[in-house]
Amino acid sequence: MLITQLKSKETIEALAQGKTVIINCHGCKEVYFAEHEADELQKDLNGVTQIITTDYICNPDNLKLQLLKHTDVINAADTILVFSCGVGVQTVAAQFEGKRVYSCCDTYPLPGFQGVTPLNVDCGQCGECYLNGTGGICPITACSKSLLNGQCGGAKEGMCEVDKEMECGWERIYRKLEKLNKLDNMKYDAPKVRNYHNPNAEEPTI
Amino acid sequence: MEDYTKFKLKRKEELDAVLADKDDLFVVACNKCFKELDSFDEPECGLFEEIAKEQGKNIVGSAQIDFLCNEPLTSKSFQDLIPQETKNVFVISCGLGIQTIAGMAEIPVYAASDSVIVDGYHGMALTTTLCEACGQCYLNLTGGICPVVDCSKSLLNGQCGGAKNGKCEVDKEMDCGWQLIYDRMAKQGRLQELLDQPVELRDYSKVNHKFVSEYVKSVREERYEGYYGGIHPTEFKELSEHISLVRFPDPVNVVIPMSQHAGAPAEPIVEVGQQVKMGQKIAQAVGFISSAIHASVSGTVVAVEPRLHPISGLDSLAIVIQSDGKNTLDDSVKPAGELDKLSADEIIEIVREKGVVGMGGAGFPTAVKLKSPKPIELVLLNACECEPILTADHRVLLEFADEVIYGLKAMMKASGAPKGVIAIEDNKLDAVELLQAKTADIENIEIVVAKTKYPQGAEKMLIKRVMGKQVPSGGLPMDVGAIVCNVSTAKAVSDAIQLGMPLVERVVTVSGNRMNKPGNYLIKIGTSVKDIVNHCGDVIGDDVTVKIGGPMMGFAQANLNVPMLKCSNGIIAVETTVKEAVECIKCGRCADVCPMELRPLYFTKYALSEDWEGMKTQNTMDCIECGCCEYICSSKIPIVERIKIGKTAIREGK
Repeated sequence: MLITQLKSKETIEALAQGKTVIINCHGCKEVYFAEHEADELQKDLNGVTQIITTDYICNPDNLKLQLLKHTDVINAADTILVFSCGVGVQTVAAQFEGKRVYSCCDTYPLPGFQGVTPLNVDCGQCGECYLNGTGGICPITACSKSLLNGQCGGAKEGMCEVDKEMECGWERIYRKLEKLNKLDNMKYDAPKVRNYHNPNAEEPTI
Repeated sequence: MEDYTKFKLKRKEELDAVLADKDDLFVVACNKCFKELDSFDEPECGLFEEIAKEQGKNIVGSAQIDFLCNEPLTSKSFQDLIPQETKNVFVISCGLGIQTIAGMAEIPVYAASDSVIVDGYHGMALTTTLCEACGQCYLNLTGGICPVVDCSKSLLNGQCGGAKNGKCEVDKEMDCGWQLIYDRMAKQGRLQELLDQPVELRDYSKVNHKFVSEYVKSVREERYEGYYGGIHPTEFKELSEHISLVRFPDPVNVVIPMSQHAGAPAEPIVEVGQQVKMGQKIAQAVGFISSAIHASVSGTVVAVEPRLHPISGLDSLAIVIQSDGKNTLDDSVKPAGELDKLSADEIIEIVREKGVVGMGGAGFPTAVKLKSPKPIELVLLNACECEPILTADHRVLLEFADEVIYGLKAMMKASGAPKGVIAIEDNKLDAVELLQAKTADIENIEIVVAKTKYPQGAEKMLIKRVMGKQVPSGGLPMDVGAIVCNVSTAKAVSDAIQLGMPLVERVVTVSGNRMNKPGNYLIKIGTSVKDIVNHCGDVIGDDVTVKIGGPMMGFAQANLNVPMLKCSNGIIAVETTVKEAVECIKCGRCADVCPMELRPLYFTKYALSEDWEGMKTQNTMDCIECGCCEYICSSKIPIVERIKIGKTAIREGK
């Protein structure tokens, strides 16, 4: 899941050079888009010839269709400013290879994949699910260091030493295993080494 | 097309090892997402079950669930699913689904699958474009090609030097990202700009846990506030919310259709050539669910004939009255006396006789609602006005607050409800303040402020939000002891009792960003939409859609020579949407927003294959046609249209 934050006003002002077309994407807005802040900011920009607000610009076919009636004004523009996630900006840039296409947002990840409401759990897509030994709590995403073999020792009162706002993932795993009466997992399971390349990965069989 | 399916079954050796000391298994599989929707039941749990059975394991059951990571929906279907004798749950899903189930189940949960590695995040379309979500977008420096994703080493300051013939040295199948960037910048004549850039350093600390976790918390709270799902389209209420009500100039002719309410059309009781007075009954109710209709002007009946109806789009019987411009009142228009002295049945009779129907859109006869066969504990006045653009109810609250409260009291008395609530969304705080002040001394009337979220004003959602009760599938609000009425209806009830005036005019918002002069008007029933649009300076541009009602559930009008009805709360002019439906990619957003907790993606498929049984098993009839799914659909599928096809087929007994 992705969210976007507006870049600073000065940065965006510096990007708007010459005739400028603005494209806002509200496709994932239900999740997050700084709609009103963007509106206000866009009012103060110089040289704006058109503001286009649409959705799902990450879909190149849809983007083409939505921009069709603005073809002339886009062709005449010097700059296209895009207010969307990084996927949207790249899609617009690929569609107008000869134009200066600029991103006005920074994109951050949220737990969960696209589509559903952001989750409380996250998946690092590591390719070799470790959840079996950890009571269903992911050591890759719940531990700030993505440790696979237990606590680093730096946690204080259950909170992570890297980010004190974050609970220690391995402490959570311990508590969960305790509850499931599976603490033996931690004692006797063989040490794990993360395989970043995963050469044994088979093609999907399901 | 890319396929973002995010998991595959673990290797057999690994599964064998995990299974070794476990028995009595329940298998849960997620039906995958972000792939072209060929069949619903993917993946096959068969392979895993085979491996388990080979080891002599007892499988107590299995289930396939859509969007396993959608925790509110999954927890509902999962609760009763697992048999008592289950000792271990195996999940075939990406890591999100497995963790979601692990968070719910009291017994151990195991992963039978690995998540497939995709570096970076994709958008809502099945394309190869990815974003690493690094939090410090570099695209402005690189001509719109991402150095983090498109360079295998995520270099920020140019080529590593290892590329050969434009191909990456790490992965020879991959184009060198920095070569692509160089070519793009050369094409744009920006090479010097590229060379002049200062050295970039990636700041990995940009994404902090607190920011993300607080953000997730707030999104989840908003999403599930009051009821599951819903959306928040841009409101555009600022176009007209501040504009005071104006009485619309009297029309020369009014066209009053006989079908302005749910139920049987009314039957005319006047003839061509007859003189009628304002407020005079001109058509009578036919049957229990029907409503009387009254003249909205005084003058001469010039026609009783079929005219174009704004909702059905067909010609249907209407009475046309030419106004004499005098608005002479009919003798029947006189106050009914003190509310205290009227009995419940007398109030209901007045409401019936004065032709009051639900003015929020459906037009259900109010008297029928009030005469509930079940005990009513709450009259819920719906002032949410959750549709974007519309501000009619907002103005009614501000300018007719006393009438609204009077109407609520009358309806409480008529239905025997001990309590009344006026529910207002938090984008109308001035109305909230006013109503709170005016009801401060009334013990049994409460103002509830609901978070702005569409479709808050749908009665089933509102009941859930205010009462915390769920109207049963196929049921009515009275099944949970509630009557839900629009605020304009309350005002009409007040007018019917206090003035004796039947429902002959209503408040209408004329707005939208393509309406020249937006405003809020008191409009006579039967006034031509065309006259109103002309009066408001016509629409702007030629790519405009005019709708009666709001943008979400309103009815688009190709021909503006149609009359305003009792239940028409707005005329809006909006930019015509251009869209082309493509295949469903199972992104799951429709299921994420459906306030009735349905899975609209099934309807799109079943309508095309005419699978009416499938429609029934997915509870199509529960759909309230709010349009959230269609609004959010990343494939632009006309979902509501397909749902209506299914509903019609089911009603016809197919």
